[in-house]
Amino acid sequence: MNLEDSSISKKIFYDSWQNNFFKFSVIFFIFICLLAFIYPEISEIKAEKMNIKSKFLPPIFFEGFSWTHILGTDQLGRDMLMRCLVGLRFSLIIGFASVFIMLLFGCLVGIISGFKSSWVDVIIMRITDAQLSIPMVILAISILGVSRPNLASIILVLALSGWPLYARVSRSMALIERDKEYVRGARILGANDFRIIFFLVVPIILPPIAFVSVLDIARMMIFEAILGFLGLGVQPPTPTFGNIIADARKYLINAWWIATMPGVFLVITLVTLNFIGSTLEKSKNKIFGEGI
Amino acid sequence: MHLAGQFVRRILQGVVVVLITTFLIFSILRIVPGDPVRLIVGGMAPDNLVEEIAQKMGLRDPIPVQFGRYLSQVVQGDLGNSYQRPKNGMMGQGGDFNANMDVEMAEVSDLILERLPYTLQLAGLALLISLIISFPLGISAGLKPKGFISKIAFFISSVFVSIPNFWLGIVLALFITIKLGLLPSIGYQNFAYTILPAIVLAVETCPFIIRTISVSFAEISQEYFIKSGKVRGLTRNGVIYRHTLRNASIPLLNLLGIQLSTLLGGVIVVEYIFDYPGLGQLTIYAVLQRDFPLIQGIAMVTSALYVGLNIAVDLITYSIDPRLES
Amino acid sequence: MSNLLSVEDLSLKDRSTSNNVLRNVSFNLREKEILGVVGESGSGKTLLSQAIVNWLPENLVISSGEINFLGKKMSAMSENELEKEIRGKEIAYIGPNAINSLDPTYSVGAQLLEKAVSIDKGNTSKEILKQKVISLLDDVLIPSPEKRFYEYPSQYSGGMMQRAMIVDALLSSPKLLVADNITMPLDVTVAAQIIKLMRVLRDKFNTTIIFSSSSLPIVREISDNLIIMKNGSIEEQNSTNEITSNPKSEHTKELIKNTPKIWSENINFQNIETKPILSIKNFSKSYKVRDKNKFNSFYEVKAVRDFSIDVYEGENLGIIGESGCGKSTLSRLISLLERSDTGTITFNGEDLSDLNKDKIKNFRQSLQLILQDPYNSLPSRQTIGRIISEGLLIHSQLSKMEIKEKVLSIMSEVGIDQNEYNKLLVGKSGSFRQRVSIARALILEPKVIILDETLSSLDQKEQEMLLSLFSDIQAKRNLTYIFISHDLAMVRKSCNRIAVMYMGRIVELAKNEILFDKCGHPYTRTLLCTIPTLDKNPYDKNLYLMDGEPPDPTEIGTECSFKSRCPHFKNNKKGSTDMGLIEIQSGHWVDKCGVDCGR
Repeated sequence: MNLEDSSISKKIFYDSWQNNFFKFSVIFFIFICLLAFIYPEISEIKAEKMNIKSKFLPPIFFEGFSWTHILGTDQLGRDMLMRCLVGLRFSLIIGFASVFIMLLFGCLVGIISGFKSSWVDVIIMRITDAQLSIPMVILAISILGVSRPNLASIILVLALSGWPLYARVSRSMALIERDKEYVRGARILGANDFRIIFFLVVPIILPPIAFVSVLDIARMMIFEAILGFLGLGVQPPTPTFGNIIADARKYLINAWWIATMPGVFLVITLVTLNFIGSTLEKSKNKIFGEGI
Repeated sequence: MHLAGQFVRRILQGVVVVLITTFLIFSILRIVPGDPVRLIVGGMAPDNLVEEIAQKMGLRDPIPVQFGRYLSQVVQGDLGNSYQRPKNGMMGQGGDFNANMDVEMAEVSDLILERLPYTLQLAGLALLISLIISFPLGISAGLKPKGFISKIAFFISSVFVSIPNFWLGIVLALFITIKLGLLPSIGYQNFAYTILPAIVLAVETCPFIIRTISVSFAEISQEYFIKSGKVRGLTRNGVIYRHTLRNASIPLLNLLGIQLSTLLGGVIVVEYIFDYPGLGQLTIYAVLQRDFPLIQGIAMVTSALYVGLNIAVDLITYSIDPRLES
Repeated sequence: MSNLLSVEDLSLKDRSTSNNVLRNVSFNLREKEILGVVGESGSGKTLLSQAIVNWLPENLVISSGEINFLGKKMSAMSENELEKEIRGKEIAYIGPNAINSLDPTYSVGAQLLEKAVSIDKGNTSKEILKQKVISLLDDVLIPSPEKRFYEYPSQYSGGMMQRAMIVDALLSSPKLLVADNITMPLDVTVAAQIIKLMRVLRDKFNTTIIFSSSSLPIVREISDNLIIMKNGSIEEQNSTNEITSNPKSEHTKELIKNTPKIWSENINFQNIETKPILSIKNFSKSYKVRDKNKFNSFYEVKAVRDFSIDVYEGENLGIIGESGCGKSTLSRLISLLERSDTGTITFNGEDLSDLNKDKIKNFRQSLQLILQDPYNSLPSRQTIGRIISEGLLIHSQLSKMEIKEKVLSIMSEVGIDQNEYNKLLVGKSGSFRQRVSIARALILEPKVIILDETLSSLDQKEQEMLLSLFSDIQAKRNLTYIFISHDLAMVRKSCNRIAVMYMGRIVELAKNEILFDKCGHPYTRTLLCTIPTLDKNPYDKNLYLMDGEPPDPTEIGTECSFKSRCPHFKNNKKGSTDMGLIEIQSGHWVDKCGVDCGR
């Protein structure tokens, strides 16, 4: 890696911005976010509002549709678009918050672990091994199992299940940085570990990992949906992608859209997010090389 | 036999990892609210009865004491008995828990061994499908990173990685089973029931494999010893076949090792959706029913599988590239 | 004699920028000739070599001209013909990147055999081809070739890999061998061995050779005729003797002028008679490396062994050694970045071995180390002013204004414009960055500065400028310098005393003029005879260049580590087995083994 550049973050973003799909995805993603956070607040139609008279309305252009409910209604006559948007809102909050926490915690632990290389390092690495050796789902449902999960506990559980990878990646980067010339240079001047880690190493290690973590936001949003599907997400009546789809399984044959529409909605959002993430990752690889 | 030392070291490390995993799960189950005894005796039972049974089962002892007792059992090859599942016959899934304390409970190891083959069949087929899709895409994308196929591979990966597995399962069940009647999906009667779940899992794993193959191919192709093959007088195909493929297989093997737990995570959800009688479905019900011994047993087995597979991967990669052996 | 190769008016164009990167190059090459091509990086010598083997980077095309090989136009040959007949067959290529030239997952022998089989197309049995590979490995002086055949590239040293790649080239018995910058990554003694080998092989295999390098003294050693290149075109071509003795073009004259002078220039250092400011006694350091053949066992790499030296106040001490001799470990030990296993260090009369925290903190200010790589040793995202002030931010209680004032005054002292204070290092040259490093060190007002290969990444002119900066600062501040380097020409100019390191130990320590004129140890003689210079070298390569490479640092015991290469050892079996410096003359110390065996 060349330390020539003044700002790694700018460079990565600028490189990605050359890609038109990337531009489009960023703009589209911002649009979806605004929609999810603003539209349900200003619209007359409320996500929780039931209306038995207009239940099982199909999406537009299917027989018997209504313009008021573009994506149709569910078994209780609730508007699917609104439910999807509110669901997306929670999904986004959970995705961003959990990745933010796992990124900070994982990297901090990883960098310190790599720098100290003592028994602390050994213990931390074995714990990450242990956590990586069982599926996240088992860990998450064991914790969320019986209690009624709320937003905070879901975010924490997701962060808990995701931190080991960040710890490992940042540790291996820290091991490389530790032996670099500029770290020696700082030591000669008398800088201590704390100063070196926070002033020199973190600014170098964190940005590239943060860019790649966009992909994890998408992963966590899927994970949140899975938990919701298993009944371990944010509890009804608050709509989430997971609980909408889980409820709708019963009506799959008669009202297919209830289960599929939220999925389409989620997939479109995630494709945008993943596209942003992978393009950033590609740019990062171009600038840094592989290894994260 | 110079790998022996390395091998012993890795096994010891692996045992430590499995122990930590088991301890983590063991403690979490006991710390997090949700009393298994309450589920065993039923909601109507008086609190003092719950307490009495819990005492008898040793669930009120300090966690390290309980863990020690559990380990000493495990060392003797006994993973304990399920809290919920009787020995004979399957229990109604997710149904009523009118558990009768007198019924003899199934042994955890039997439950796991009974389900494991189904899961292995599912995971194996899923892996096969995703390798068949990923190999040609990944290799041609890696050899020509700016080419058309590379763009297709990128597109497919981005879409596949965005599809939640449970949703895809439902959609496929809706279209292929219900609307088109092509393949069966719910439950298990014969091999055909494995195909749809395997496709869902393959879609989930494909993006990672495509990405790893294409990235490692692209990277290895940039190595001087590959580029200079031409000027040394070797043929292009000879270089790709003998050198690029061999070197690029190392990251792929490592990925397969690391991705095992992700794959198993997918298996759990997919089995639940398709009501497929494998280890994953067992896991979900075990957790929802707070069936401690069963969850612990499953966690330990999965962890050991992961550790074992990764040791095997390491040994294979060492034998490919002797430099890794340090 | 007929022309083997003729290049006519060859130009290469970069497709993306449409710049000509090689312009109108023409020359003829007779059979069995060795043609030397000299040019700095970017002069086009590598592109010329690659064009001749038809192995150009994808963005380059031949825009005009022709290469004729054996009277045939290469442009008229199909890719198939080139692949089957020419590339790697009639014309072989060896590049500077030998260490990465072979697949790390197969043994060296297996890959040489792979090439032999692919050339032979199945006419000869594998066993015979294998014998051929082994005998060629023997020809290039790889020790115990039967065993080395099965070893992996990572087990080969840089010099050995370069030899293996020579074998790779010779396997097809090429008519033309293009050796592009092959000595570039190698230590001078190893490079000298390779050059010697190339000459022997030329006579043995009747190969015509194009040998390119950036070093005129090295190319001169081997070539019959010379081409001097600059910016993609030929500046001058003639016989080697004519060019070196009677250069015509300005560029060549400049090139010759910039080649370091060793013996033809007088040096003059004042006698330094002060007390030692830094004294090192019996420093040793070994690293544990896991033994992969055994469970939980380690072997030791002894990087520095029983190293003692006194550094006198105000002097310039040079510590010279080739890669792997332990000199970078030594710089880490002296600057207390790492602890030595044994020994004591005394600074300004104070014993630092107890690692008292306050003492160490003081020491950090008094002794500064300036590192080799100007691009990676400074934090890239801080402003120049911030970088230089770092030391004061750590050690002093000064106010922001006071710090800024000090930084600005140091900047002008080392020749950095004060306008740079708020700028970043982006796009700055290596020598500028090293000035920043020096400023960063000087701001703590140190007494001793260690320069660990500080100048080696800079070109001759930049080196001169910084050296004169060093002596200005020294005069003003009464500094002591320790130059740690592999570059004998540099220490010749700058150091009054020089220590030669081999396998973690000092083998000779003497004043500059004594070391260069009357050295006492065979290893020093080897180093001196390989200095790339156009001077008349009093040490003849044919007499003093040693074969072989330093022994495996894990296998050295208590006996003389030089035994395996010592020219005297074979004739004098009684040679010294223990080591230690002996003062053979006032201030001239030579390792016992060099003294005993040499007599």
